[in-house]
Amino acid sequence: MIDKPTGEQTEHKAILEKSLHFPDGLPGLPDLENFVVVELREDGAFQQLQSLDNIDVSMIVCVPWLFFPDYAPVLSDLEQAELELEKAEDAVLFVPVTIDPDSRQISLNLLGPFVVNATTRKGRQLVLTGTSYTTRTPIELPPIETPGS
Amino acid sequence: MLVLTRRPGESIIVGEDIVITVIEIKGGQVRIGIDAPREVDVYREEIYEQVKQENLSAIANAEQVRKAVQES
Repeated sequence: MIDKPTGEQTEHKAILEKSLHFPDGLPGLPDLENFVVVELREDGAFQQLQSLDNIDVSMIVCVPWLFFPDYAPVLSDLEQAELELEKAEDAVLFVPVTIDPDSRQISLNLLGPFVVNATTRKGRQLVLTGTSYTTRTPIELPPIETPGS
Repeated sequence: MLVLTRRPGESIIVGEDIVITVIEIKGGQVRIGIDAPREVDVYREEIYEQVKQENLSAIANAEQVRKAVQES
């Protein structure tokens, strides 16, 4: 018997579909290799990058182009080869979102973007060199846009 | 820490296949060339540290960020 999926099951399925593998872990967290991406808002503006290796570890991420349309991080040949990225369209990119606990200012880390090969789901965090991007680029939070509004 | 003295054009070998060469010394700066296998990542330390610290901060404050982005 197949029951109508509940909201919880549907969400769980979506999470599993988006599981990612970072073979090198993250800078500062080399043992965290497996992640899932969970949507946080109806408009898809922010996601939670949840570790599967340590359930207590997660960070909020977003696609930077909503805030910085001209953002253009450059991958080295080595990084492209490692991720087996042949076309730019195969790459999914998102950046860490942080908050200053005192001022409550939300910032994006444009110096350390995550790049994932959408086909293989293999990814890594880049440490960009030779750019003026910073780890704390302030943003204004956009109001949540619900579909059809 | 191992401390070695090198002149421009001279190199240091680390392990089997990493060669670090002093290219030029000028105005208090040293230009360094690094030959390393492609699977070895090479970063400026302060940049790598910034990204690392920012990851730890993003994780430590994840709950606060999540609330902020869901309440905007």
